[in-house]
Amino acid sequence: MKVGLFIPCYVDAVFPEVGMASYKLLRHLGLDVTYPKGQTCCGQPMANAGFAKDATQLASKYESMFKGFDYIVAPSVSCTAFIRLQYPNILKDANHKCEIASRTMDLVEFLHDVVKIKGPLGRFPHKVSLHNSCHGVRELHLSSPSEMVVPRYNKIKDLLNLMEGIEVVEPEREDECCGFGGMFSVEETAVSKQMGEQKLMRHAATGAEYITGADCSCLMHIAGINAKEMKYPAIKFLHVAEILASGIK
Amino acid sequence: MSTSHSIAAKKFLENQTYATWHDKTFWGVRAKRDKLAFELPEWERLRDKASAIKRHTLTNIDMYLEMFSEAAEKNGVEVHWAKDAQEFNEIVFNILKSHNAKKLVKSKSMLTEECRMNPYLEERGIEVVETDLGERILQLDHQDPSHIVMPATHLSHDDVGEIFERELNTEKGNHDPTYLTYMARLSLRDEFLTADAGMTGANFGIAATGDIVVCTNEGNADMSTSVPKLQIAAIGLEKIIPDYEALSVFVRLLARSATGQPSTVYTSHFRKARPGADKMHIVIVDNGRSQWLGDPQHWESLKCIRCGACMNTCPVYRWSGGYSYSYFIPGPIGINLGMLRNPKEYSGNVSACTLCLSCQCVCPAKVDLGTQIYKWRQALDSYGVANKEKKMMVKGMDMIFDHLSVYNAATACAHFLNGMGPLVNNGLNPWAYAHKMMKFPKKPFHKQFEDMEKNEK
Amino acid sequence: MSTKKDIIDRCRANIRERLIRPTLTDLNPTVYDDPLEKFISQAQVMGCRVERAKSTDEVDAIIKKVYPDAKIVASSLPYVKSASLNPDTVPDAQALNGVDVGVIRAEFGVAENGSVWVMQKVKERDVCFISENLVAVMPEHVVSNMHEAYGEVSFNDYGYGVFIAGPSKTADIAQVLVMGAQAARSMTLILIPDL
Repeated sequence: MKVGLFIPCYVDAVFPEVGMASYKLLRHLGLDVTYPKGQTCCGQPMANAGFAKDATQLASKYESMFKGFDYIVAPSVSCTAFIRLQYPNILKDANHKCEIASRTMDLVEFLHDVVKIKGPLGRFPHKVSLHNSCHGVRELHLSSPSEMVVPRYNKIKDLLNLMEGIEVVEPEREDECCGFGGMFSVEETAVSKQMGEQKLMRHAATGAEYITGADCSCLMHIAGINAKEMKYPAIKFLHVAEILASGIK
Repeated sequence: MSTSHSIAAKKFLENQTYATWHDKTFWGVRAKRDKLAFELPEWERLRDKASAIKRHTLTNIDMYLEMFSEAAEKNGVEVHWAKDAQEFNEIVFNILKSHNAKKLVKSKSMLTEECRMNPYLEERGIEVVETDLGERILQLDHQDPSHIVMPATHLSHDDVGEIFERELNTEKGNHDPTYLTYMARLSLRDEFLTADAGMTGANFGIAATGDIVVCTNEGNADMSTSVPKLQIAAIGLEKIIPDYEALSVFVRLLARSATGQPSTVYTSHFRKARPGADKMHIVIVDNGRSQWLGDPQHWESLKCIRCGACMNTCPVYRWSGGYSYSYFIPGPIGINLGMLRNPKEYSGNVSACTLCLSCQCVCPAKVDLGTQIYKWRQALDSYGVANKEKKMMVKGMDMIFDHLSVYNAATACAHFLNGMGPLVNNGLNPWAYAHKMMKFPKKPFHKQFEDMEKNEK
Repeated sequence: MSTKKDIIDRCRANIRERLIRPTLTDLNPTVYDDPLEKFISQAQVMGCRVERAKSTDEVDAIIKKVYPDAKIVASSLPYVKSASLNPDTVPDAQALNGVDVGVIRAEFGVAENGSVWVMQKVKERDVCFISENLVAVMPEHVVSNMHEAYGEVSFNDYGYGVFIAGPSKTADIAQVLVMGAQAARSMTLILIPDL
């Protein structure tokens, strides 16, 4: 099984440690993982802003870059969701079919559904509050949406619970949006800030030491608000991959 | 980089006590909806059926409209057809005029809001009395609804108390909701008894039988139509459904989704005029709907049954209020219907969505509201209403992401921003409004990876 | 007539694909082991008072017990001897204003939401709404859900019917639930096995 690692632009530029943790984790699990050179962005920021056509070139590039892989894994739910759900539309416009979209997986679902890891991975003796990102919940189905009458499950929680000593909690309104929304955060600054503050407050109310999730963009938003307002200076932010890889040398 | 919605929302959030109360109130309605939905193991199947029935009915609406009007006429009802708001208002006015009706009591109808019927009739000497308590409060205070199901919930009991002191001469300082509701009851009772005509909207029109079905909790639709001599019902053409089997699906979903009740208190079926009353009239309104049916991307917005659940769950609605949207229907469905109505005029609402998609997980008719907003965004540029700064930003992103050398140079230099606090944490950078600028690492991932590979070799 | 044709033609022209209607055979709606018990508890949740009686002879006594201060009772039901107004013979709908208790018949109940089906059987149906308090006398006939209910509803020549679930309610002022908005302020159900 050949696994291609996709590190989206903002993870590359702002959270390289998340990329490193993902890579280490996949290698530690004995997978044949490659990080093809020359990656930039999936095109989601342009598309969510209303310029999906501007993502065409990036989608084509992605497709040729990852053609030979069985799975393409990315530590970012919103980028994964965008690639999986929108690339077929975007590339259809450019007159071709995009088959690798369905083989693109978020790191969490890949580990949970394909690798099916059962642990143990190491110790993480901390209380963590899990941030369920909207696109993870409602597009990639990483957990059961709170709105829907379906059996309850949460793949991120399952993975985190493989860590010894960990206590995983969820905030009240466990999958309400944090207000990031890509372009939304710069176009609707006031509502975005309000929602982020609310989310932060609910995470903090759990008494957790860490806030974790499968999408750095939500975490970047909430952490950025916390860094500015310093309401909860002790709270730390980690991507799920960093926790899962924390015991690996 | 602001829009009409973002400007209004910012203003809304200035009063934090009020905004917090607003969020909590509507989240409470969402929670009640969840509780009721989870009591029915068949809930998701019901939603699937509701969607499929609506898709079927809408794509055969020509046939169902014929059926409905035929059945209603057989019941002795006079059926009118209005191509737009103007025609609708004229038809209603002419019916009233021909019966020499001076006072009209009406139950809640978003369609009459859409057509701005009240001012039209009032200008022509008709006294129009809203009888839904929420609508009545707004009418007394000359406000528009801020929500399609709970139109006056944005007002506190003190606000209502003050309006009633002024308009209904209630006791000074007595703002108890039970007392205020009773005073409204007494005043509306007089209106029911003296009205010449009663009007309702319609939650559903039943093609097989010609029924107008109206769901209320207050009983005001029934009071409006069981006392005056003349009854008029207004219905948007998308509200027609085939028969009672179909209706049984929708009534189970409607109140549970709207307010977290297993049903509304009254589910009333009107087929014909009361004995001794004048002929009943039904006005079927198009006003754009037949055109929207032909929009391959957005026709499914017509499945909406106006429960308001998408508003209650929408965090942007909860934190910005109904009046921050420029279309008369707010929230996710309002953004979409506004764009169908007039994309140039109502594009300022399209920003009011984080694409969290909670709306389409609650929608009882499975309208893919968030996905449609995403699609509307794609079309803004073609209407010439895309935000210029945003467009520039996207072009900038194209420049960086489409050219690896530029991307590599930018990510390599990003950490220089770390030392430029005042330059990036300022009003020119919209990100800095809420956030401290992120700390860029010395080396992006792709550089670190290269280094690691070199070391391993 | 031409507007009708225009509208229907425009709809027809804009329909791209005619989609088929789903069946409800695989819906498997909730049914209750004891629908009557569920109905009674749900009607109470909706704000109803529920009384049981063996025969219609007890109806007057129950009205007296539940509404001791009632002065004007309106009903067309022959066994409601306390009625001083008959909605079938009053001159107009307005004549029923001021009724303390309106007594009507309901056909059956729905367990899932505590509602009862009322078919208009009197000239002035506002007795159901304008009365301060509403009493519905009904057989112990209950269905589980609205799918079953819509299989049971019937109409007569009056062409009006309504599901009623408890007293009139509103939460339009600050989301505080208040009973008795525009219609009946209380509702009592009297269940009689062989009605």
